[in-house]
Amino acid sequence: MSERVIDILISSFPRILGQGLLVTIPLTVISFALAMVVAVICAMIQIADVKGLKQIVRFYIWIIRGTPLLVQLYLVYFGLPDLGLVLPAFPCAVAVFALNEGAYCAETVRAAIESVPKGQMEAGYCVGLSYIQIMRRIVLPQAFRTAFPPLSNSLISMVKDTSLAANITVTEMFMTTQRVAGRTYEHLALYAEVALIYLLFCTVITWLQRLGEKKLNAMNGGNVIRA
Amino acid sequence: MLEIRGLKKTIGGAEILKGVDLTVEKGDVLAVLGPSGGGKTTLLRCLNYLERADAGTMTFLGQQMDMPTVSRKDVAAYRRHTAFVFQSFNLFANKTALQNVTEGLIVARKMPKADAESRALAALERVGLADKRDSYPSQLSGGQQQRVAIARAVAGEPDVIFFDEPTSALDPELIGGVLDVIRSLAEDGMTMIVVTHEVRFARNVSTKVLFMEEGRALAFGPAGPFFEEQKLERIQTFFRSLDRKDE
Repeated sequence: MSERVIDILISSFPRILGQGLLVTIPLTVISFALAMVVAVICAMIQIADVKGLKQIVRFYIWIIRGTPLLVQLYLVYFGLPDLGLVLPAFPCAVAVFALNEGAYCAETVRAAIESVPKGQMEAGYCVGLSYIQIMRRIVLPQAFRTAFPPLSNSLISMVKDTSLAANITVTEMFMTTQRVAGRTYEHLALYAEVALIYLLFCTVITWLQRLGEKKLNAMNGGNVIRA
Repeated sequence: MLEIRGLKKTIGGAEILKGVDLTVEKGDVLAVLGPSGGGKTTLLRCLNYLERADAGTMTFLGQQMDMPTVSRKDVAAYRRHTAFVFQSFNLFANKTALQNVTEGLIVARKMPKADAESRALAALERVGLADKRDSYPSQLSGGQQQRVAIARAVAGEPDVIFFDEPTSALDPELIGGVLDVIRSLAEDGMTMIVVTHEVRFARNVSTKVLFMEEGRALAFGPAGPFFEEQKLERIQTFFRSLDRKDE
């Protein structure tokens, strides 16, 4: 590797990483947090079988899962202004990522809630708890343990998917790299560099996941929750 | 204290209960016996409204309820006077033994935490598991889980406890400990309705017997005559078939 490439890599590194910490990570964290709210609400509506709302939720999940994320980003950022609705790029990306991930995670959360044995609900009723109390105190904590690994998966996917926001002018990590590459023509080195930074982020999340699972297991008294 | 008249229940087109009557007085231990598929468990689940009966009236502590239409609020109030012990224990998997017992006291009955804990500890003491207070269900044997479940039932100081085949899911060597706990409750005058296959236990502990077959009460009455002077050929055959299984 020439000295020039090494210089470019070293000088661009703080800039790319900085943009990652300032844009990619906040974009991921905010979007994912909102996605979780969407997911739990959608899962609860489906499980409690709320008439009308359930159909709306199924429709929403159908649309989101059946269309590409990139197309959704374009529709909202470039399409909605035609209807007079102009959103700045960052909030626009947050909204699309949250709604997109929310639809997928709604299914994860629903499956996890349904995997909690029915006897937990019945035992709750028999000691005098209400439906909401049983959900909040007994069922959801157990479902969370089951949903935690697949949700971590989704979070890891999302870190990388945020690179799509470059297409709607969010200057996150990937767009920053594109700019440096466009100026210096060192494509291989720079895209490898940004790939490594994504890998670094995802490694940290994987490590946090393992830590989280350990903690959740301790709270449930063992590796496996028996029925 | 608890009186049921004309209890009927159909599930999936099959009539599981075809009009069952029973009466339980304070201090009674009613053993519900009979072959599998006779409706014993469904009867018990209807008694605590885990299943909604299609017809029937319940009189509990002088208050009459129409079982199919009783309001959710009345069911909740009724459940505060009752407790249910499941065949598969159904301890809250994310709570320790102590928390399993205190959960209903603190959250449903709004008891101060310290009071609830001292009451729960006494209940765990009674089933011989005070030292397991901080264990999670997955760390306990089946027999221990069922004893915690009984402690959870007792701690609410119910007027009646329903047991749904409390020993059927247990390894043979663990059954005795659970039955001992139930027997000691009987000695203290706790009113109980016990669906069971343990005929010897029923003979020793129960004051009344209900024999269910095909959704009907084939026999209902005091335990003494039921076991000692049983005239019904069908029930004698049932006992003989159980004896053969024991050998």
